[in-house]
Amino acid sequence: MTRTPLPAEGMTTRTSPKSAFGGLRAEKLRQVLAPAAIFAGLLAVVSIAEPTFLGGGGPSIIAQQATPILLVALGQCVVLQIGSIDLSNAAMALLTTILAALMLGPLGLAAPVLCVAIVTTIGALNGALLVFAQIPSFALTLGTLGVLQAASLVVTGSNVVYVTDHLDVVDWLFNLSFLTIPAAFWITAALAIVLWAFLRLTPAGQGMAAVGYNERAATLSGLPVKSLKVLAFALSGCFAGLAGLCVIAISGAASSIGLGSDLLVPSIAAALAGGTAITGGACNPVNVIFGALFVALIPVGSAAVGVDPQAQSIVYGAVLIIAVAATLSRSRSGTVK
Amino acid sequence: MINAQIDTDQRIPATATAKSILRLNGLTKTFGAQTAVASLSLDIHRNEVIGLIGENGAGKSTLLKILTGVHQPDGGTIEVNGVPVRLRSAQEATKAGIGIVHQEQSLFTNLTVAENIVMGTGADGSAATRYGFYRWGQINTEAAEVLARIGSPIDPRSVVGDLTFAQRQMVEIARTIHVARQSATAPLVILDEPTSVLERAESEILEREIAKLRGLGAVIFVSHRLEEVLRICDRIVVMRHGHLVADRPSAGVTEAELFRLMIGHDITAASRPARTLSTAQPVLAAEGLGRKGAFQDVSLAVVPGRITAIVGAFGSGREELYRALFGAEGYDTGTLSVAGQPVRRWNVRKAVAAGLAYLPAERGVEGIVGGLSAERSLTLTHAGEARRGPFLIPRLRRKLADAWFDRLDVRPRDPALPLERFSGGNQQKVALAKWLVGNPKVLILDHPLRGLDPGAAETVKLRIGEACAAGAGVILLADTLEEALDLGHDILVMRDGRVAARFDLSRQTPTTLDLLEKMV
Repeated sequence: MTRTPLPAEGMTTRTSPKSAFGGLRAEKLRQVLAPAAIFAGLLAVVSIAEPTFLGGGGPSIIAQQATPILLVALGQCVVLQIGSIDLSNAAMALLTTILAALMLGPLGLAAPVLCVAIVTTIGALNGALLVFAQIPSFALTLGTLGVLQAASLVVTGSNVVYVTDHLDVVDWLFNLSFLTIPAAFWITAALAIVLWAFLRLTPAGQGMAAVGYNERAATLSGLPVKSLKVLAFALSGCFAGLAGLCVIAISGAASSIGLGSDLLVPSIAAALAGGTAITGGACNPVNVIFGALFVALIPVGSAAVGVDPQAQSIVYGAVLIIAVAATLSRSRSGTVK
Repeated sequence: MINAQIDTDQRIPATATAKSILRLNGLTKTFGAQTAVASLSLDIHRNEVIGLIGENGAGKSTLLKILTGVHQPDGGTIEVNGVPVRLRSAQEATKAGIGIVHQEQSLFTNLTVAENIVMGTGADGSAATRYGFYRWGQINTEAAEVLARIGSPIDPRSVVGDLTFAQRQMVEIARTIHVARQSATAPLVILDEPTSVLERAESEILEREIAKLRGLGAVIFVSHRLEEVLRICDRIVVMRHGHLVADRPSAGVTEAELFRLMIGHDITAASRPARTLSTAQPVLAAEGLGRKGAFQDVSLAVVPGRITAIVGAFGSGREELYRALFGAEGYDTGTLSVAGQPVRRWNVRKAVAAGLAYLPAERGVEGIVGGLSAERSLTLTHAGEARRGPFLIPRLRRKLADAWFDRLDVRPRDPALPLERFSGGNQQKVALAKWLVGNPKVLILDHPLRGLDPGAAETVKLRIGEACAAGAGVILLADTLEEALDLGHDILVMRDGRVAARFDLSRQTPTTLDLLEKMV
């Protein structure tokens, strides 16, 4: 009795297929183009208000600032893809800068590899805890965030740690440039495309989308749901590690409250402005590139139009809400949490 | 729709309108080409308990949804206490004094009993709030009063999440009664299969509640357990194919009669040639399989090329058995073997690797990933020819999807659309195709034809038959007994978690009544 079907299901296509599906195509186009469009819009505003911006090294600075944000955001969007969230990945990036600062001198080339391996493992542990202890990702990674922040403080003794030697292992990332844009940004953009290919063109990527949309159905389809979750969190850790290396390459020093300690909000903002659905299942890493550029440009833009630096957070928050409203995929359902 | 004439001779004569709580006149509801409720008229009087019975898909659900404001009727009128009403939302239905107690309960488990009972009625005239603030003392008193009226000993201050299922049912009943008191009408409480999840002792409590409710207003009692319906109800109405086919006082009617009314004409299994394949080794075999509280001592063998239909009433344990076979739920006794080898720590991943496929009944929730495009859904489990090394090639995936779309006549022919945009029947075709891509050895089908229009049902049946002929063993949980007799080679009847009877349709030709006898 209670399992009687709703015959109304059959009516979706009968009503007016043309308009329904036409609307879908338009919605899809909007989703694809919106992140690039909002970035272009903000860039236009900045260029008009500050005509010297484009010629005077502005793009290079923005690309440099966008790179760590983009890396953390790429990791975040994989986790969002499976319907979870990783609040600890920015703290992993910070931990990486500190570890790299400590290890580059003694270990040289092995240091970055080791650092990224450590945070990837931490990420995988996050995933394993999520799967086996069934702790919701928000609470779990909030906890990991606290642990990692404390670890950073303990390791540095709240001092600034300077790289003693072998900074050349990483600093070429921002010293080399192509078309005035640092190499690190190009490499990260290439990684975004690789990640796009992973999510779109492999069974594992397709499985992650399925988990994000409907975990129950994904499980009953025989997908390796647990492994996919661990993989997503491990990738988040790995990307955070790469972000940490970028920060150390830029600054040459690390501290628990220094550069890299404020990546969390910008990176989530970049993922969302890149059209990633916070409810899972829908993300496009290539669009996250524009999301990160947009987020990096906001402080410059608000300064250019004459906003008091003290009030910049207001502009940042407001612009962000508008950007997410414009880019987010809402076609799935009416419920937004 | 053939056997739709009402046997008027035994109908209760309509009494005075003043005593009628609910009067339905020519109520009709169609979905597309399908008529769910066909010109249904019914009078429910004060102090009456009505039993509503019918097969799955007979239109009971739709009728209840109309009464509770979820669906709007296409025609006909509803009168509550002699006044014509339109029930456009659940709130309006509640205001009219009609409340429903579902199996899937709709209480706020994090709030107290009192809050649940009084909530939603505070806005108009209740003393529960003053200046927009809760008056806790008042809320608890009001709730305690209502609970006392139905004789329930539950503390109004306890949190709903801490209560047993049966206690929560009481709270739902109390809430309905509270609303009716607010609007000063006699409550009509609909109990939708309330007993199927209750222990015997709890059922007895519920029966006492129903007796109390009869004194306050009226009750519609929906159940598949006919003996219970006969015991509890004053009058029984039977629905079949959207029509009200019988309306009888429960005194002087038997279970067998009710069954015949529910099902219409008796169907006999068509005789069929014995299968030569039946000696083949079973691909999946259960030996003495059991799980406490769900099913016990079930043995069955799934043989290539044969369809085993499992029939049983709601709560007979067949759903749980299905899910245990697929590894989605556990079992605690007995053994399960695949191709003769006993399995250990059975789970969905292992089942799929062993060639099992499962088509769940709850299509939207479990069967499909609605947000994914149809072509991606199709290659979710087995990528088939779309895979090259580690990659899924979009061009090949499209080719694969196009081929399956043609084979199963999925419409519209656009595999790039999200699966949720397709109609139910077409979603089901894609859900089935997802498994067929991998050439499954065992197909476990849970209501595969549910909600499908005849064309889609025919296509799905055809592909099931093909897979079967290609060597897959099939376990079928059919919507109706006719369907089980029509498609099955073997029939397994379950009752109270046990196998009550087995029929080999190549040698026996049982009728639907034969099956029913074993079910109850």
